[in-house]
Amino acid sequence: MASFTKAGADTVLWNPGADAHDTISARTYGFWLYLLGDALIIAAVFACYAVLNNPLNANGGPLGKDFLSASKGMLQTFIVLGSVLSYSLATVALKRGSKLGVSLGMIGAILLAVVFLGIGLGDLAALSAAGDGFARSGYLSCFFTLILTHALHMGFGILWMLVMLVQVGVFGFTENVVARLLNLRMFWQFQASVWVVVYIYVYLFGGAH
Amino acid sequence: MQVAVDGPWSPLLGRLTLEAIPYTNPILLFTFAIAATAGIVVVGSVLYFRKVGYIWREWLCSVDHKRIGVMYMILGLVMLFRGFIDGVMMRTQQAIAIGPDSPGYLGAAHGYLPPYHFDQVYSAHGTLMLIFAATPLLTGLGNIIVPLQIGARDMAFPYLNAVSLWLTVAGALLCMISLFVGEFSNATWVGLMPFAELPSNPGVGVDYWMWALQISGLGTTFNAINIITTIVKMRAPGMGWFRVPVFTWVNMATAIIGVTAFPVLTAALAMLGLDRYVGTHFFSAGFGGNYMLYINLFWTWGHPEVYFLVLPAFGLISEIVSTFSAKSLFGYPTMIAASMGIAGVGWVVWAHHFFTMGMGPNLIGFFSAATMIVGIPTGVKAFNWVFTMFRGRITLATPMLWAITCILLLLVGGITGMMLSASVVDYTVHDSVFVVAHFHCMVLVIGGGVFAAVTYWWPKVFGFKLNETLGQWFFWTFVAGSVLVFVPMFMAGLDGETRRLDYLWDTSLRPLMLLEVVGIAVYFLSVFFFLAMIVVSLAKREPAEQDAWGTGRSLEWLTQTPVPFYNFAVTPQVHALDELSWRKANGLEKAQPSTYVPIHMPSSTGLPFIIGMLGFACTFALVWRIWWLAGASLLAIILLVIIRSFDKNEGYVLPAETIAAAERNLSTVSVIAEQSKVLPVGGHAEAH
Amino acid sequence: MAAHNDPLAHPEVRQGSVLRYVAGTVLSAGAMYFAYVQSQGQHPVVQLLEILGGALLFSLVTQAALFFGLDASRAQIWKSISLILTVPLFLVMIGISVWAFASLYNRTMPDPAIMNSMSM
Repeated sequence: MASFTKAGADTVLWNPGADAHDTISARTYGFWLYLLGDALIIAAVFACYAVLNNPLNANGGPLGKDFLSASKGMLQTFIVLGSVLSYSLATVALKRGSKLGVSLGMIGAILLAVVFLGIGLGDLAALSAAGDGFARSGYLSCFFTLILTHALHMGFGILWMLVMLVQVGVFGFTENVVARLLNLRMFWQFQASVWVVVYIYVYLFGGAH
Repeated sequence: MQVAVDGPWSPLLGRLTLEAIPYTNPILLFTFAIAATAGIVVVGSVLYFRKVGYIWREWLCSVDHKRIGVMYMILGLVMLFRGFIDGVMMRTQQAIAIGPDSPGYLGAAHGYLPPYHFDQVYSAHGTLMLIFAATPLLTGLGNIIVPLQIGARDMAFPYLNAVSLWLTVAGALLCMISLFVGEFSNATWVGLMPFAELPSNPGVGVDYWMWALQISGLGTTFNAINIITTIVKMRAPGMGWFRVPVFTWVNMATAIIGVTAFPVLTAALAMLGLDRYVGTHFFSAGFGGNYMLYINLFWTWGHPEVYFLVLPAFGLISEIVSTFSAKSLFGYPTMIAASMGIAGVGWVVWAHHFFTMGMGPNLIGFFSAATMIVGIPTGVKAFNWVFTMFRGRITLATPMLWAITCILLLLVGGITGMMLSASVVDYTVHDSVFVVAHFHCMVLVIGGGVFAAVTYWWPKVFGFKLNETLGQWFFWTFVAGSVLVFVPMFMAGLDGETRRLDYLWDTSLRPLMLLEVVGIAVYFLSVFFFLAMIVVSLAKREPAEQDAWGTGRSLEWLTQTPVPFYNFAVTPQVHALDELSWRKANGLEKAQPSTYVPIHMPSSTGLPFIIGMLGFACTFALVWRIWWLAGASLLAIILLVIIRSFDKNEGYVLPAETIAAAERNLSTVSVIAEQSKVLPVGGHAEAH
Repeated sequence: MAAHNDPLAHPEVRQGSVLRYVAGTVLSAGAMYFAYVQSQGQHPVVQLLEILGGALLFSLVTQAALFFGLDASRAQIWKSISLILTVPLFLVMIGISVWAFASLYNRTMPDPAIMNSMSM
């Protein structure tokens, strides 16, 4: 470029050891990018949902407003937020390096997630049993896919937490374990954010009009 | 739950039966003979030269970004050749099957390819060329060059990098095996809906295409994440954002598209998969499905994907034009802004692929205008290249010839693109070969950019230059072939030839079709010259200088040639945009570091390769509905990932003395050399 | 680097705080409850969309700031920038798809009320 600086006697040309970068930051940032990509997968499903949430796509079957319970969804929302809080408190215990605190927080998060999945999957099973399964209509296909995509994320989160429970016990807080715990926290918060959008858009807005 | 399919199904082999192997088709038998011969030659020579261990340790298990890049390039070139052969078949078929009196061979009424086979050929051509040729070639170049240009030791996640490669390879394998086991999709490379749905397309072809795209798309997304993190977190000290070389910048723009657009494809294909496997009705005709929704989602990915491919080519042209004009790039900031602008605007133009859907004048107006806006940053780039050459000391070496041709091709492709962006024109020529000729001009820009870059950076990676004479022969035959194929195609398109025709009723098109076949023959010559160029150069191997072209500007030319596996013995301090030019201007280009410090390197591992192959097994099993195999390989992948997370191997440390010795004798540490065993370290490396 | 030697000293670990997380949960849950109550009332569709959208935005911003801890600090700036660059894409993809198909349905599909009465 135009701004040409002349080299002087004190010009540094080489930086021995400068390649050692902050791996934890690189890993959390990389994982953050993954989450943004994942969010776009879910946004694509949302785009479909927004289009298919139309009497023309119900194939004579029900739309969300016919079977969704906003109050039950509210309960699920509180459970998800509670699960996230539990895991977040685990990462506060991480600051102190407390294995017990981290493990308890994760166990709390898993238990609440299992309750959530129980409610959600039970609802879908009841819907299918009533003859309104995913193959009923384009709309129901998309509804099931949306809910199950979120549930799949939760399932992976639970699996990940179980693995981390073991790793915290076996390895303690090594660089690898800490990076994974931080990534898992983002992942767990991410699924909660997705659920909040699902609740508002599918349960409340879709349920009301 | 799962959808019932026609034909036999067994729990052990799914839909796979002996009839799936098309041993009655002479064309496929011939192909198989060639593929088998090539395979035997490759495997045989590996065995004969006792290189199995070398290939496994140094390549298949490698996490070195340069080797991964080279493997991406090899994959891309092989697939480019197969895609080219598909093109040859299409051109010859159309040259024969014109008019009701045209002859038919091999069971076809006209030409030698029955419609069902012809449909698979063009579907494979599109899929292979874009997903398995252009994408790996450009990803490979990015993999090799980006860390070098920013003075990094490797990518941010070397292990993930290898996983990305092997997932892409798995997709390519799926496409290749579809030749000999079953069939490929006949629903075009985009997947026409509802034609690609199970009721109208009950075979395995669409499944092959779908899973090949799905698994390689996963690899591309991971690679994009890796590239962004590398550029954001691992630039050498002193390299602020306005000192980042332009090729690295375009890779940033490209990777942004990779992270954001590819997930949409993943979602669209997943929904198609649900439709085909469990019987949902996203894209069904009827049952409340909406098949235009698929087209909408596909192009939401598909148009950014076009820029995903062409932006790296723009970056390559920028690097080469500047190097061979011996001038800094004109308008560097505008070049970055233009790249980011193209990536951004590329996200809001997708519906111009289906103007004819009937979405109404408001939307058409919006997308038409947005498409035209793309012309502005692209024009900025073209002018910047011209102004870079203006009053420069131009060397017409092969890479520069390619780059200049790319600018001309961009002009033709760009201006026809502007014609198509006007919806009134688009309505008239929609789905005609005019459109095909237009986007082939654009992908030829990509191809030309890649060939330019291969010639340009070859000495950096391998330590010797490619043969200049044969390179020029390759260039001129390739350009002549392109002109002979695509100028008649533009004309045929305006004459009303629609695309994807296995039979042309209009005999007046015959001269144009014959001209295109002549072009294809010239292309064949160019393939010959390309191979000759590689062979002759390999045989001669005259060592190249550190700055192979003498006018290199950016950081990659500062390291040794060929690049040692640790890239830079000592990380350089960056003082200017064109660091090497700056050092030359200060007479510092020969300066070498006085002290070396130990380097922490990642260990090689076979796990990415195994994961890729398991991915292949899983998707192959899904294609044939072999549920146990699909489940088992998916479970194996998950378990391997978990087991690997318990692995405490943190790489190894390269002692300072080893580096000093290596710098004196570079051939022992180059990309193709076998590396000596180095002690792994447990726990934390003191080297940091 | 210091953070490299002791992973627990990493800024992203030090960021955790009970106060922030509890506040984040309360605010986010509160916004959801508010939205729930509003959705049970009789609002016109456009007004309801505004209320729900507002509550959603509030909840998401709360989560981004308090849970993800996004800000302009050295440790987090790139996450913040990436998110800000991605948000328009969500809006573009969902918004334009809805727009395109609403317009397509208007132009090409029969009125659902008529269609339902025909199929009954």
